Amino acid sequence: MTTLTRQDLNFGQVVADILCEFLEVAIHLILYVREVYPSGIFQKRKKYNVPVQMSCHPELNQYIQDTLHCIKPLIEKNDAEKVVVVIMDKEHHPVERFVFEISQPPLLSISAETLLSHVEQLLRAFILKISVCDAVLNNNPPGCSFTVLVHTREAATRNMEKVQVIKDFPWIVADEQEVHMKEPRLIPLKSMTSDIVKMQLYVEERAQKT
Amino acid sequence: MEDVILHYQPGSADGLSSLLQTTERLLEPFTRRPPPVFKPWFPTSPGDHRLPLRPAKPAPRITSAADLLTVTTCQTENKPQRDISAGSAAEVYRACAESPPEKTERETTAPSPTTQPQTDTDVSPVRRSWSVFTQRRVLLQSSLSLSKRFRHVVSVQGLHLRQRAKWVITEDNCRDIEKVWRSLSRSVRSSSLPTCNANIQRERAEIWVFCDVLYSEQVGRFLKDELQLSGRISLSVHKLGNIFSL
Repeated sequence: MTTLTRQDLNFGQVVADILCEFLEVAIHLILYVREVYPSGIFQKRKKYNVPVQMSCHPELNQYIQDTLHCIKPLIEKNDAEKVVVVIMDKEHHPVERFVFEISQPPLLSISAETLLSHVEQLLRAFILKISVCDAVLNNNPPGCSFTVLVHTREAATRNMEKVQVIKDFPWIVADEQEVHMKEPRLIPLKSMTSDIVKMQLYVEERAQKT
Repeated sequence: MEDVILHYQPGSADGLSSLLQTTERLLEPFTRRPPPVFKPWFPTSPGDHRLPLRPAKPAPRITSAADLLTVTTCQTENKPQRDISAGSAAEVYRACAESPPEKTERETTAPSPTTQPQTDTDVSPVRRSWSVFTQRRVLLQSSLSLSKRFRHVVSVQGLHLRQRAKWVITEDNCRDIEKVWRSLSRSVRSSSLPTCNANIQRERAEIWVFCDVLYSEQVGRFLKDELQLSGRISLSVHKLGNIFSL
């Protein structure tokens, strides 16, 4: 067992790589499971040794990719506290929020032989939970869209430069109405604790969706 | 209130009464009103400082059945399921972008998540122009059943078996092109046509069915038989034009 700081071997980058890869899969799957997009644009793939659904719509894929590309530096520097996939109704009021709470330990205790396989197992459990979460959620109203919110540990405006990685993909501070939800129902889905990252996923669901 | 002393100039005693009245009025207490509750114009709680960030650009909308959006369907049939690694979306996108132009410039009417899938009656208010489908079942036996004539065409033209080819169904091949289009959409959705996607060119009154060269002969036969097409249908590939007909 070795104890390392975040600077050693650039572990922040490793964690960001792993998390962004996971978030990409998770976002695609959430959009499929919650029927934000027609099922016809998704194809079955395999990730973490389990079947997942991935969009093959280039515009959507690019959007998700750009979003995660911008979030990555925040995760790398441990500045991102939560990444939230918000499903909104036609009026842009949130109906569901898939909240990924991320916490990274300042000191990393790593046993090299178990690291990746262990993390992969934990992430697989998240994916499996997402794929069946429709059983515990109510149907969304028609015409929903989504956005991704990033809650930062410090004031958002301080992190604006860090997240502005792609020139044509600007970021703004979210409106109050996009963030807060009336009488949300909290549905914990999964939590994990590993050597490199702690994460929990829960869904906030609006009581009255229609 | 303590005593108030009024000083006045000598000789002005006549106006003393009015002076007193004025003084009394001045000494009346001010009318009071409760001050309004202070509402700060800046956020006060620490949580308010932490509104999250979001992309300014909204996510693409692919929900309305009336919208025609550009979709590239990427075929994964005949390929083993593989892990998507970091940037896998980019891979898919790249793979799509590298395909011939006719493949990348497809438009589709993606069905709304709330709309039911088309039934066999196919009474749909939406005039579909493109079909998108997931290839589930692939008829592999077709690779072995290329006719001698078609094999010759493939070798003479130097075609790659994974190259895309296009069958064109015109009004000469059928009475009602919309009816043929509906039947074809059903077949595509049920994955009866390997590697296929199709669109209808209403202004030309044509249906274009795209598929891999490998399956094109099988697809062509299927189109002729199942859709009961009359006359000949022609197969064309990018740059070369018509190369084969059935």
